[in-house]
Amino acid sequence: MSRSLFEKVWDAHVIEQLPGNNALLFVDRVVAHEITTPQGALEIEAKYGDQLFDKTRIVAMNDHVSPAKDTETAIQAKVLRQWAKRHEITLYDIGDNGICHVIAPERGHVEPGMTVICGDSHTCTLGAFGAFALGIGTTVQTGAMLAGCVVLEHPKVMRVRVDGRLGHGATAKDLALFVISTLTFKGATGFVIEYQGETIDALSMDERMTLCNMAVEAGGTTAMIAPDETTFSYLRGRENQAKGEAFETNVASWRSLRADPDATYERELVIDASELRPMVSWGTNPGESVPLDKSVPANADVKSLAYMGLEPGVPMKSLVVEQAFIGSCTNSRLSDLRAAAEVLRGRKVTVPTIITPGSQAVKRAAEREGLHDVFQDAGALWTHSSCGPCLGMSMGVVAPESRCISSSNRNFPGRMGAGGRVHLASPAVVAASAVLGRIAAPDELEPLVAEAVVAAGGAR
Amino acid sequence: MTFEGNVLPLDRANVDTDQVIPAYFLNGISSSGLGGHLFKGMQGGPELLAAYPDATIVVARENFGGGSSREHAAWALVGRGFRAVVAPSFARIFQENAYNNGIAPIVVDASEIDALLTEPSLRIDLAAETLTLPGGRVMKFALDPLRKRFLLEGGYLDFLANKRDAVRAWLANR
Repeated sequence: MSRSLFEKVWDAHVIEQLPGNNALLFVDRVVAHEITTPQGALEIEAKYGDQLFDKTRIVAMNDHVSPAKDTETAIQAKVLRQWAKRHEITLYDIGDNGICHVIAPERGHVEPGMTVICGDSHTCTLGAFGAFALGIGTTVQTGAMLAGCVVLEHPKVMRVRVDGRLGHGATAKDLALFVISTLTFKGATGFVIEYQGETIDALSMDERMTLCNMAVEAGGTTAMIAPDETTFSYLRGRENQAKGEAFETNVASWRSLRADPDATYERELVIDASELRPMVSWGTNPGESVPLDKSVPANADVKSLAYMGLEPGVPMKSLVVEQAFIGSCTNSRLSDLRAAAEVLRGRKVTVPTIITPGSQAVKRAAEREGLHDVFQDAGALWTHSSCGPCLGMSMGVVAPESRCISSSNRNFPGRMGAGGRVHLASPAVVAASAVLGRIAAPDELEPLVAEAVVAAGGAR
Repeated sequence: MTFEGNVLPLDRANVDTDQVIPAYFLNGISSSGLGGHLFKGMQGGPELLAAYPDATIVVARENFGGGSSREHAAWALVGRGFRAVVAPSFARIFQENAYNNGIAPIVVDASEIDALLTEPSLRIDLAAETLTLPGGRVMKFALDPLRKRFLLEGGYLDFLANKRDAVRAWLANR
């Protein structure tokens, strides 16, 4: 029988069928961070003799608030650190850490065909590798640490087919926002999204991760992209991956991880990428997004409008921002930073701008290219890696009724601080908005060459 | 298992888990003690809770619990004494977290929510999967047959712990 990519990975991990539409599913990889892991680690210690099913399948990192901001978060990090040390679990910590969804693939812990879980909803990011990767709660993560498996309801599968070249200025982030605004904030609930098509094939791994990262913002269980040469090139030679012939043997088996041509799907969405434009959110969930050059929609939800201080018909580009943030598990990888730097090089930001790389390795790679100078010359703050301002839990909190343009994934009420108003966009749009002090597209900026000539001629 | 409880009428759709409990209250290592932070991320949330101090059943509109996987959302509901959320639909992770923490995620048709929001109290029979309005009208709902057991008796982790030999046997033949 013809199967989707998801079905192949699911079938390969079913230990037994359970009542209802449930299965006991084997878990290849558990990613554990300091916010959602300590409770379960302590429960296993107290009730199950501190026995883990297979410590080698777990990787841990302090990422949400790292370094700790106060005593409470210091204790969270300490509990995770001590637990990891006690069990000899690989731990990424201060100095060598970053966001779990950036670190896990960067350090080679995610492979095509794997099942991956993490007590973090954006684990769907890792579906970019053809893994079945999903966010779950602490109890389910704890179960996977204890018994190597999870109870899951069999999801449905939706194919999102994207063909053509991305339209002018559009990025993987804009594609993600377009998909969510089409499906709505709940439209993929109960579904795995399988992304296919020539546009997807042409995306880099960074871009695929950005796209898959936001599947949960449409309610999706996760998203998946079939592994291909782009995937194999990313993984080849990476630490924690097999080397040489052993790796090529893995590649040979990974090549079968793609949907059969006549596989069927419960739902389909077809997108012409050439029609995509840069997007921005206006409301209080990522589904409430529009093209950047449009206005707040006429049929906008009244509660969202009230929270955001908006009226229908207000042009998005007229909105003044008071803060800008580039980072988060959506857009904090090297290619995202390059895109921001391209906009900021030789320009100045006019609002407080925070740029937070997704990992210390990304930070160092960016600095080798001099991107940190570009950002700091532009007047932006270049920070250490962490989840940072995205979830309002540590630094960079947005004041009530202030607007922040952000490359992150959530614009929920209070997400970046009580009463703060978040507008989601790509790194390039965030950078352009930081320069102009309002929501703006990069092509609205004055050309640099002319400015440089005037400045050089005028000053000396 | 039957209980009667007062309704917290939450006349909103898409109540995400950041609204249920904002990230700045996720700084602990325990699942207890979070009830005081319930709905602090929602404009008017604390005031609504204060107006219905004895409520144990949330009635909300579609897509309750979207966004973050934080089980703290379920823990905060438990900490405040809630036992059920009635809505037309739930986000996947929240729904699972609810089952695993003794919060019944009860799905009813969207057309019923207007009426339910005006009721002061509801009677819920989890075993029979019925919800009874004060006037005597009975609505049927369906719980996941496996997770119903976790809801009524707890024991998700014990269930998995007892599967460890089966998992090892499966792994040996992988």
